[in-house]
Amino acid sequence: MSEVKWQASGLNVHQASDVTQDRLNLDADVVIVGSGAGGAVSAYELARRGLNVVVLEAGPYVPSEQFTERFTDSLETLYQDHGGQTNSSGDLLVLQGACVGGSTVVNGCVCFRTPDFILQDWQRDFGLSELTEGELAPYFDEVEKNLAVHDNGEHEIARHGQIIRAGARQLGWSVKPLKRNIRQCGLTGHCLSGCKSERKQSMLVTYLPWAAAYGARIYSDTRVDRIVTEGGRAAGVEATITRHDGSVAASMTVTAPRVIVAAGAVQTPVLLLKSGLANRSGMVGKNFACHPSLYVPARYPQPVHPWRGAMLGVYVDEFLHPDKGGFVLEDGGAGLVELTMAAEPGTGEPFMDYMANAKYLAGLVTLIHDHNVGRIEWDGERKKIDYQLSDVDFPSMQRALKAAARLHLASGAQEVYVPASDRRIIRSEADIDPLVNSLANQPQHLRMVSYHPQGTCRMGADPDNSVVAANGETHDVPGLYVTDASLLPTSIIVNPQITVYALATRIARLMA
Amino acid sequence: MNSQFQARRVAAFWQRGMARRRFLKWGLTGAAGVAAVAVGGFAVLRQSPLDSQSAPDWANGLSDTEYHLFDRARQVLLPVAGTRLLNSDQVPVVRNVQRTLSYLDPTTRKELGTGLGLFDNAAVFSHGCRFVDLEDEAARAFFDRWGEGSVIQRTLASVIKQLVYSAYWQDAATWPAVDFDGPVSEKWGLAYLGNAPLPEAPASDSSRGSQA
Repeated sequence: MSEVKWQASGLNVHQASDVTQDRLNLDADVVIVGSGAGGAVSAYELARRGLNVVVLEAGPYVPSEQFTERFTDSLETLYQDHGGQTNSSGDLLVLQGACVGGSTVVNGCVCFRTPDFILQDWQRDFGLSELTEGELAPYFDEVEKNLAVHDNGEHEIARHGQIIRAGARQLGWSVKPLKRNIRQCGLTGHCLSGCKSERKQSMLVTYLPWAAAYGARIYSDTRVDRIVTEGGRAAGVEATITRHDGSVAASMTVTAPRVIVAAGAVQTPVLLLKSGLANRSGMVGKNFACHPSLYVPARYPQPVHPWRGAMLGVYVDEFLHPDKGGFVLEDGGAGLVELTMAAEPGTGEPFMDYMANAKYLAGLVTLIHDHNVGRIEWDGERKKIDYQLSDVDFPSMQRALKAAARLHLASGAQEVYVPASDRRIIRSEADIDPLVNSLANQPQHLRMVSYHPQGTCRMGADPDNSVVAANGETHDVPGLYVTDASLLPTSIIVNPQITVYALATRIARLMA
Repeated sequence: MNSQFQARRVAAFWQRGMARRRFLKWGLTGAAGVAAVAVGGFAVLRQSPLDSQSAPDWANGLSDTEYHLFDRARQVLLPVAGTRLLNSDQVPVVRNVQRTLSYLDPTTRKELGTGLGLFDNAAVFSHGCRFVDLEDEAARAFFDRWGEGSVIQRTLASVIKQLVYSAYWQDAATWPAVDFDGPVSEKWGLAYLGNAPLPEAPASDSSRGSQA
């Protein structure tokens, strides 16, 4: 084992701008596609055991000091499709990081363990008998320790969180501080634009530099085109390194007996479909779920400044269990551009009045336990996210929306803006049912965002209806693994990053 | 082809498209989405006085009619009379829209162009002139009606609004009027914490004997 070389700051990444030859051929023990939650954790776990690891990231390497804390800039530089990734009908924005560190760079730091009732569903419905609360607890313990996960302290609950918490208590609803993976939060409110001062414990400042310390080589700007097999076994990948101006810098081949795909629940199935692999079950790309969420803003009589303080402070878990509704409400800060996306207070003067009084707004994020009704397709040129909120899930969305409105009103809000394409403003309890019940489950009626795509290469014991076994290896292709949120057999209601870290840790250790 | 015939053709296409839901093909930018009509575009249904005005040289990513559409949308969507807000003519709104659209893939960009043409020309049916020539209040009412209309109407109204709103509010000059702080880390002098220290080896490693 070579010397461990931990860097106090920065990350040694091979970028397109470093390439001096038009073809690169690499050998490795393991090649990992993607540098987000699943890829980074896998890289560290395998590299520290002495394996020769190569990590390939399609997105750019953007060091923290280059983060601008301007949301539109960040969408363009850090997000998939420059922030423009949507479902086919365009009413669901699917936000994923597309940079070294992946979505962990741009998420809101929220950490939940997989709810036990979800694990029980997986055991019962997918034969994942190994994935018990007891089995996973040590992995959760470890990743939470590694990533400084903690309950928000009082100083990390911003004004908007304090207001929401008071309202929840008045309603008698269970409300708790969120857990986040952050050290000494700077309270900037700019989580979605990356943490400039490196307080968020994203993969960019944790598992990736740790993996590099043990010798893992990280390549950015490198999109894997195809997984290569030999004799039915994984044998490596073929990739293209692309400069930021879109020109091709080089082609790359990595020869490796083990391939881990961790490109996220949209890109991972696309790569498997392009490669024509691991799809005996026909399940690759299917079963897409995404926790479609709404950001529900409301105007308060006193200044809130929703952009100030930690972005996410508290959550209401009163309705977490499916028997009680199957949704979560999280208080959420927002900047100006995000607020323009949230509501439709009316055209012209009503909208400008809404924005002129933006400092009086506070918001709630709704997350629902959606069914796995979507699919990712690849038509040979473009990917397609075929997902519409199902009629089964629409009532859950309405219930979550009603609860958010009720909570805002209890918290003292004067106006609650329904995030729909038409003007709907709730000013009293009496407004809630008529304005929410009359919403239709049609494309472009609700303004939905997903931060949590999942389920497109689901785990399961049965090779006929799942893609990956409980050990992370695909049923069909020995040596080919998946370690990202594609694995999750059902949506998990809560933010999935900790689930992915834990599963990736477990899978990597089973591989080693 | 005269305008009436062309109007019927467009209307027929539109209804057929909606019935078959073929027009739905999206690639969203920012938040709302990019409209797409399934087949090619169409000529304008009625001339506008603006047609004789070229877009500025910098607007080479927009057609002339797209430039005029977004500039007109800027005017009607961002009224500031009686407020402390910055007049939108002091913000590079259309230039910012152009920048956002530059990130679209060519197919989606072409589809969006067709959708924008539909939005502009559809006003001919209801008002006898294109959207760009509507009076302010009529233009706002047009947006509101489309926000309550069919899927494609909701989509196009949302797309144009989101592009214009985002283009205005992303500009730092608009922030003081609403007390928005913008980027703060450098202003506050927040220190970089750097990389987290290497974690301790997990207890399970000692039993495996495989720690590096």
